[in-house]
Amino acid sequence: MLGAMAGAPFLSLPAMARGNILNAMMPAEPGTLCYPLLNTRLVQQICGNIQESLLLLDWNFKPQPNLARSYTITPDGLAYVFQLQPDVRWHDGHPFTARDVVFSCDQMLRQLNPRSRNAFNNCQSIRALDKLTVEFRLKQPFNAFLLSLMASNAPIMPAHIYEGSDYRSNPHNFSPIGTGPFKFARWERGQYIRLTRNPDYWRPGFPKIDDIYFRICPTPEQRMVAMETGAVDIALADDIDTVVSSRLRANPHIVASTHGYEGVGEIAVLEMNQRRWPFSDRRFRQAFMHALDRDFIVKAINFGQGKVASGPIPSAAPYYDGQAVSRYPYDPNRARALLDEMGLKPGAGGVRHRFSFLMIPDGDGIQTRGAQYVRQAASEVGLDIELQSSDWASFAHRTGNWDFDMDNNSYGEYGDPAIGTARFFVSSNIRKGVPQSNIQGYRNREVDALFARAATAIAPREAQEIYSRLQQILTRDVAMLWLFERDPMLYYNRRVHDLVTGPNGPTDGFGHTWLSGAA
Amino acid sequence: MKDFLCRFLARPQTLIGLGVLAVIVLTAMAAPLLFPRGPFTIVGMPLLAPGSAGLPAGSDVLGRNLLACLAYGARVSLLIGLSSTCVALGAGVLLGAVAGYYGGVVDDLLMRFTEFFQVVPAFVLLMVLVAFLQPSLVSSVIGIALITWPQVARIARGEFLALRRREFVEAARTQGLSDGRIIFGEILPNAMLPIVVVASMMIGNAILTESALSFLGLGDPNLMSWGRMIGGSRSAMWVAWWTMVLPGLCILVTVLALNFVGDGLNDALAARRRR
Amino acid sequence: MSKLTYIAGRLVRTLMLTVAVVLLSFFLIRLAPGDAATVMAGQSGYADETFIKSLRLEYGLDRPLPVQLWKYGAAVARGDLGLSYERRQPVLDVVLDRLPNTLLLDGFALVVALAGGLTLGAFAARRPGSAGDAGVTTLAMLFYAVPQFWLGMMAVLVFSVWLNWLPPFGLESIGADHKGLLRAADIAQHMLLPGMTLALYYMAGYARLTRAQMIEIAEQDFVKTARAKGLSERQVMRRHIRRNALIPIITYAGLQASILVGGTVLVENVFSWPGIGTLAYEAVTARDNPLLLGIFIVTSVLVGFFNLLTDIAYTLADPRMELGA
Repeated sequence: MLGAMAGAPFLSLPAMARGNILNAMMPAEPGTLCYPLLNTRLVQQICGNIQESLLLLDWNFKPQPNLARSYTITPDGLAYVFQLQPDVRWHDGHPFTARDVVFSCDQMLRQLNPRSRNAFNNCQSIRALDKLTVEFRLKQPFNAFLLSLMASNAPIMPAHIYEGSDYRSNPHNFSPIGTGPFKFARWERGQYIRLTRNPDYWRPGFPKIDDIYFRICPTPEQRMVAMETGAVDIALADDIDTVVSSRLRANPHIVASTHGYEGVGEIAVLEMNQRRWPFSDRRFRQAFMHALDRDFIVKAINFGQGKVASGPIPSAAPYYDGQAVSRYPYDPNRARALLDEMGLKPGAGGVRHRFSFLMIPDGDGIQTRGAQYVRQAASEVGLDIELQSSDWASFAHRTGNWDFDMDNNSYGEYGDPAIGTARFFVSSNIRKGVPQSNIQGYRNREVDALFARAATAIAPREAQEIYSRLQQILTRDVAMLWLFERDPMLYYNRRVHDLVTGPNGPTDGFGHTWLSGAA
Repeated sequence: MKDFLCRFLARPQTLIGLGVLAVIVLTAMAAPLLFPRGPFTIVGMPLLAPGSAGLPAGSDVLGRNLLACLAYGARVSLLIGLSSTCVALGAGVLLGAVAGYYGGVVDDLLMRFTEFFQVVPAFVLLMVLVAFLQPSLVSSVIGIALITWPQVARIARGEFLALRRREFVEAARTQGLSDGRIIFGEILPNAMLPIVVVASMMIGNAILTESALSFLGLGDPNLMSWGRMIGGSRSAMWVAWWTMVLPGLCILVTVLALNFVGDGLNDALAARRRR
Repeated sequence: MSKLTYIAGRLVRTLMLTVAVVLLSFFLIRLAPGDAATVMAGQSGYADETFIKSLRLEYGLDRPLPVQLWKYGAAVARGDLGLSYERRQPVLDVVLDRLPNTLLLDGFALVVALAGGLTLGAFAARRPGSAGDAGVTTLAMLFYAVPQFWLGMMAVLVFSVWLNWLPPFGLESIGADHKGLLRAADIAQHMLLPGMTLALYYMAGYARLTRAQMIEIAEQDFVKTARAKGLSERQVMRRHIRRNALIPIITYAGLQASILVGGTVLVENVFSWPGIGTLAYEAVTARDNPLLLGIFIVTSVLVGFFNLLTDIAYTLADPRMELGA
């Protein structure tokens, strides 16, 4: 009964900012708005409106001009030269030049942002050839280099603000300056962040919105109310729990879209500490995969959102090869047989083995529910799991220091396996104390060699062949337990148009977005 | 004592409280018999409404039998409520007895120490403790006991302070009994009733505190508790009210019953004192 | 004892308690595995050694514990509570930014709870055993037993979603840019649900206490004497019963100061009220130790101050009572 009543929209809600204003949400307050310093999805989605990258991705993952008007690559794949947009100004009026690009890529990003460091460490030199030309010279070919300049990998920061200062304590971390379509306007602590239209934006005719409000809505039920009542216009990835997606999709005022996060290509996974037995045994990992009904996970636990993952590369991303992967359909009997084969026989109470499962903190969201399902499914084949909840500190600490049996997480591929995938499987990235590295301790010389060759292959065909082979090996080994592709959902009010224009979605900002019915 | 019991049982609220409590305790004990597959077994699609086939209370966000979850939740709530109160009682009585019996510097130190717990926001302290010890049954019990024992200590101290100069204590002292024997053998039995009355009111509060911890995701993830059920269905409350309303009602009824009983005890005690 | 020395003594004690709070929490916080650097590494989705090392260096987490404590203690003595790890802002600013919101909510709840509790309790005590008494008692029991966070969510369900009367969460309408009275009205409207959720629990406590006190005092000899002397019921009530019943209620209110200041975590969480409670919760989850310590320090100072106020309130309620007696 209450459920039905909850459908009544409350129109008398005190005046929300309407008109030509976009209302969005933040599930938490960011610590800073210095993009390279805190490269989380939340900061990306706010700062994506303020800072810009050299290139944008189109829906086919092809680079399109942004701050860089055009670019050339030498045939040996070693030099990338970018022509920058002329007459671009920072929000404080200072002109944007090649110096900013060199400073950002060679210094600030490289020092602060691990993901950028990974990309720019391929560079031998980054130089300004003239005021509007930048040359990146690589040590060896790196075919994912252009993708490394996209969106969250390489936001261009103002050199005149940051150069020579202590990046971490720069006051502009709380009032960022960029070249983007929106300027930072106000940060009301504990309540909202407001961005306002940049009237001098270099792309004529844009942006079309006057203001953007990101209001803090820490709890899932509030975000749902806010969305349903029209208090906010858009809900970004993970703002809305999949539990209520059916209800939002049924709402005639709201559009649901799965497009906008292909560029991240996030896959929910289980990781096992492969230094420890029985996780070190490939048969155990295979058995575990067979014990999980991943269709059920997608259908029931994630309420139909997402897609069963078949391997390390998301099915919508370049280099995916559905022919190469080994698949592990739900088959508890096969799981039991594999466990028997490796000598894990049922003991007292039918228990074959006991171990712990360190859960990533996600506030009782899909990851926690998934973990509870995994515990249940494992018990059906005689594996007794003890769930351990954690906060970010203990989770990152324990996974980084290899103090776990099994954990769950969710990783982005970021458009190219060399950027987002290799890091979990190459043995050179087994680094104690560092979370989100090869914490499982997976070692395979062939895999090491293949990843190195794949990233430097100049011919796309060659790269494809190597990545196909890699998918074959990794899925055969069950090098990681891929559960499902997240496919985060974007929800927006019908009055919102052109919310996202490419696979990096909200990370590219709302410069093209317009609102119907706005004065 | 008989008089005390009569007075205690004379109030209808007390009887209602006891009756409800008996039902809850029985359900908690019988949960493994009623639901042999446990609370975590997925029995169907998620968020089925109450009254669906075989699911009188519906299913939760994971497709588990909500009724089974509620029954097992009673076990956890009662277990944590009772055990944390017992721990707090043990620590509080011990320290309060020592302080009240010896007085002087010992007493002073202890009172300063309990003051610390009055000044620090208790629930924040509890969150810190449980989060940092890693959420588990044990850390919840220890945490709740830690923030509640000063209450017991104060009562115990007061009772001991009042009783230590009484004749029977003096008599025991002249007989050459050790301090330990006097404290636990002579004074404690006489001081126990008011302490137990306070403790009876603490159980309900402990259950509320536990549910709040679990609600914030700081409970033991391997146990099905009412607070956890509410916290876990926050996002579902708009599509499936029962996942949130029912466990809340369970907490309310249990704590209410406990407080009715505690109130009865309190009144009976007050009546006895007045005479 | 003169009032001045007494107050000075109280201040010294509050100060010493604060030092104890700092020391104990400092070590308590460091019991846990992981630190703020690992939190940020874990959340950023992509980390390496340089990232973690540079954060540790920035926060001074690489230094030995006694050095960290010494540096911290010395800074606190100068009134500098340090920088929040997560926000990279002075802790004092962050805390003071949020404190008024919590005090506003608490103040509202306390006033409503006291006014409502005293009235209801006195009403029930007038004729013990009557239907009115039973109603008040039952209601008080009910609100005393209901989980606050659940009550809050139910209130949102009923008053915001179903009846559509009140805003479901937040401090004020965002983007509306109300000024002056309009803004005050806007905030008041937002405060009603969380404030009442908080108040009902304490109101139940005050009602029960008031009722019990007044019934007990009414049976005492000096009240009987007063009646025998021919004073009217109203005079007896005002001169004798009310005044004497007030003392334990003040004690209770004083004890609740600490609960109120830091105990709004749940209600603030449910209603996204940007106060100290939500801040504390965020600080715990982000392992933001300086912020957490800062919250402990500020709240203990505040509670010390409240306790002092309670003492002063005693003397007002009962002029015969000496401070510190």
